[in-house]
Amino acid sequence: MILAIETSCDDTCAAVVDGPRILSNVISSQAAAHAGFGGIVPEVASRQHLELTVPVIEAALAEAGVGLDDVEAIAVTAQPGLIGALLVGLNTAKALAAGRRLPLIPVDHLQGHVAANFLGPEPLDPPFLCLVASGGHTLLAAVRDRAGHEVLGQTLDDAAGEAFDKVARLLGLGYPGGPELERLARDGDPEAFEMPVAMARDPGLDFSFSGLKTALAYLCRDLGPAGVEARRADLAAGFQAAAVGQLTAKLKRALKRGEWPAVALGGGVAANGALREAVAALCEEAGVGLKLVPGLLCTDNAAMIASAARFAPRLPFPDYLAYDARPTARPPLAA
Amino acid sequence: MSVVVGFDTATEDTAVAALRGGELVYEARLEPAEKGGPLHASALLSEVEAAVAAAGGWGAVGRLAVGVGPGTFTGIRVGIASAKGLGLSRGLPVSGVCTLDALAAGIGEAAGGRDRLALTDARRGEVFAALYSAAGECLWGPLVSAPEELAERIASLERAALCAGSGAVRFRQQLASRNVEIPNDADPVHRVAARHVCALAASGPGEEGSGAVAPIYLRAPDAERWRERGSLEKAE
Ligand SMILES: [Zn+2]
Repeated sequence: MILAIETSCDDTCAAVVDGPRILSNVISSQAAAHAGFGGIVPEVASRQHLELTVPVIEAALAEAGVGLDDVEAIAVTAQPGLIGALLVGLNTAKALAAGRRLPLIPVDHLQGHVAANFLGPEPLDPPFLCLVASGGHTLLAAVRDRAGHEVLGQTLDDAAGEAFDKVARLLGLGYPGGPELERLARDGDPEAFEMPVAMARDPGLDFSFSGLKTALAYLCRDLGPAGVEARRADLAAGFQAAAVGQLTAKLKRALKRGEWPAVALGGGVAANGALREAVAALCEEAGVGLKLVPGLLCTDNAAMIASAARFAPRLPFPDYLAYDARPTARPPLAA
Repeated sequence: MSVVVGFDTATEDTAVAALRGGELVYEARLEPAEKGGPLHASALLSEVEAAVAAAGGWGAVGRLAVGVGPGTFTGIRVGIASAKGLGLSRGLPVSGVCTLDALAAGIGEAAGGRDRLALTDARRGEVFAALYSAAGECLWGPLVSAPEELAERIASLERAALCAGSGAVRFRQQLASRNVEIPNDADPVHRVAARHVCALAASGPGEEGSGAVAPIYLRAPDAERWRERGSLEKAE
């Protein structure tokens, strides 16, 4: 049984997992604490994590109906993420493990998103292509075994979800704005405004969203507040279609370059209905399976960290006492 | 008699001790590596393990104590997160101790009958400060202050004080006054010693669970200050 802790961004998470079975998956969202700032404030996130981590761990144990004596290893997100936020989870995890002489399993957050697919009740076996799009990352990964992934493409600037949130803010929507933007887009004409097609001529599989965001900012400036108000639905629809178009275009290209029996979609943006539909249509056309993990496993959570930990190296006590967090994904996580 | 294991990482040092009643069974203070940052996250738990071993193992430990600042935000959080994690892991009570209280307890050992002024470097050209009587009672603070403002406070002190800490070293010239003596830079009185964290926790109320251990930041997150100034848009 693995107890996992995830504090890399703005959700304080703990989970207990037994093999592929989730016994508990507790997520304490800090959205309300950040809403007034219109985005995630790292220092606010770190302060919230410090308050919430132990109560969330206790809730995860209680919900799973187990005690620390039943736990055989402590898993924790060690990279990448907000460094101050990571430090809270990592130091809590190290202390928790050290006090009981348990092994510690440092986990790469992105591998966590990939490993969400290995959880029950219907785990997906590699090989598959995994598209992770969230407020913090945009990643196209080749998953050939359960221990890791190969990055085929990633964003060169903003993450997809970050672009959704920033555009939502331009349109005067609340934070986080992704879901509201999607609602608004349903009533809009995606072709009312011409949107730049980012990276279309780039032969690679990387993403870019800052040009799209900037185009929206210019459009909003030219329209003026009253114009934006009147055309909000069209602006939302145009942006969403362009963003989803870029994600699916790269996925399509990756599918063509290899033999992939399945595609998995994860990250907070995977909750976007337009993206789900577009990816589903693409998979049907290409004749490959599609795995959509449930919503709670799409956004940041600790069950996915525990899932990744099952296939990651364990650091025995006391080898991890000096282990430190890393804000970026490089150098790669190794035992 | 059960042992209190205490540590502080609110300053650039990593200070750890174990105290059994009045007997100090372990004490260590690690300064930042040459050209490096603090050793908090990398050295704290190893030092705690050494302190626990010197105390006779976890079974002998009855309480954990942690310095909760004021100090560097990251340092405070490394200390408190570690203390809470250990408390949960071992089922031990955790006491939070103000870092300036611990510093002042050390100053008291050298102060004679004088008051104690504890100052740590708060960066950004400011100091964290608190004043204590010879009996150890906190007279004012903890607060964060510009050295010039603090100099005015010092000039109006009613009694002479012994003044120490990284903030006293850093702003020695600005703070110089007839009212305070600041020991030589190399004097260990300027550093937080974890034995005082342990002793203050041992003499404290001792009831609280780790949920009651709260950091003393004294500063709002920068974003909050920008928002208060109505300039969040400009700051981005
Ligand atoms: Zn994530």
